[in-house]
Amino acid sequence: MKVEREKFSETVDKMRKEGFDYLVKITAVDYGDHLEAVYMLRSIAGNKDETLEVQMPEDDAWMPTIIHLYKAADWYEREMHEMFGISIKGRRMDRLLLEKWDGIDPPFRKTFVWDTPYRTDEGKK
Amino acid sequence: MTITRINIGPVHPSTHGVLRLVVDIEGDTIVKVEPHIGYLHRGVEKLAETRMYMQIPPYTEKLDYVAPMSYDDAYVAAVEAALGVDVKERAQYVRVILLELQRIASHLFGIGAMCNDMGQMFTVFMWGFKDRDIVLKLLEDATGSRMFYVNMRLGGLVRDLPPGFEDEALEKLDYIDRRIKEYESYLEKNSIFMERTKGIGVLDTEAAINLGITGPPLRASGVDYDVRKNNPYYVYEKLHFSPMVLYSSDNFARYKIKIMEIKESIRLVREAFRLMPEGDALGMPVKLRSPDTKNRIVRVSRELPRGECVMYMVGDQQKPYRLSIRSPNFINLAALDEMSRGGRIADLFATMGSLDLVMGCVDR
Repeated sequence: MKVEREKFSETVDKMRKEGFDYLVKITAVDYGDHLEAVYMLRSIAGNKDETLEVQMPEDDAWMPTIIHLYKAADWYEREMHEMFGISIKGRRMDRLLLEKWDGIDPPFRKTFVWDTPYRTDEGKK
Repeated sequence: MTITRINIGPVHPSTHGVLRLVVDIEGDTIVKVEPHIGYLHRGVEKLAETRMYMQIPPYTEKLDYVAPMSYDDAYVAAVEAALGVDVKERAQYVRVILLELQRIASHLFGIGAMCNDMGQMFTVFMWGFKDRDIVLKLLEDATGSRMFYVNMRLGGLVRDLPPGFEDEALEKLDYIDRRIKEYESYLEKNSIFMERTKGIGVLDTEAAINLGITGPPLRASGVDYDVRKNNPYYVYEKLHFSPMVLYSSDNFARYKIKIMEIKESIRLVREAFRLMPEGDALGMPVKLRSPDTKNRIVRVSRELPRGECVMYMVGDQQKPYRLSIRSPNFINLAALDEMSRGGRIADLFATMGSLDLVMGCVDR
């Protein structure tokens, strides 16, 4: 299900009230011209899964937090912030979770340049 | 009272790898636990974007090095969904048998490691390793390697079960079945074990759902959710499988649920052997040129020994454009703070042991 970023908070709020009480995963995809944040929600009692896809431009990447609804969002939002450079509005993030990336692109974006080449057998016989 | 901050790890015998815990304590009561992860971050999700589809299973297997077969299966299932490949019927049974054997091995390891974390019960750690090795020997017979199998191919397996495997497996499973009763009688009559597990690390149902924990810890908190039942794959529907649920939500429940799942897995393997049809179980060759999967999005759920794994994959030509892995340990570790808050610092490792963490899976 595609959702606009402006309507995202109220959509999740509504779904939470409808019984989607379990957050499976938050992730993101870099499609080259835009970023997409993916929220997987589940209703355990109803045994239903729903995926919310939110598109955003690369140079204005932010998402509102949903940590007040799902505590599970805590680490997922931090991971998304570190790996995709999507900032999370409405919450504090005191420290980085996985790695410290200084002065480079967010590593999971397609613009990230690999330091070492794919094959490092140059110069070997 | 003043709050003291102590640092545990990253190198510590009880941290199952490299995990650093920063714990705030008041007296010996825990105020806050902050896990610092990332020491094993290898960027497998990014690495997958540079490899062809069937070059990736060796990487995904090494995420959870205690139950590699399960990750192997979860990833290959995602590729099968992307390419629209059906798994042969016999191969489905063989996969279920191998996955359940892997679950038994993993839970034996988990119980042993939990007892080791609590000090005192090194005996069970040795028992767990010894019995796990018996199951690993079975998996070695079936796949050719002891730990990292890479045994799944599109639509089937690398090799079918060898002749005589069924008799050998059933015999070994009878032995494990007897051993499990010994574990129970040894541990549940042990006052140290009971005092450090009963009523310790309680996480009620509502908090468990809100924190998004998964697998045995979720079912130990009274939530009846198992992917094998709620969203069945392979032949689990035919096998009269019922998920194990307990309601006491403490360390003891998280230990007991593993014992119950081992028994259920043994039953499942026996039943799968009985129903397994003759025929072909081999998959496609690995160098197969796959059809174009550009922008095809798949999402596959699998019940790993430690919880639910979701593979979210966006396809590209011959390789994933993006592979996102929901690791069960990552989210279970995030709940450690809530579980151990208010308890004693000495019980922190009992609680952590009951979560059965594998750091490779947490960091990815």
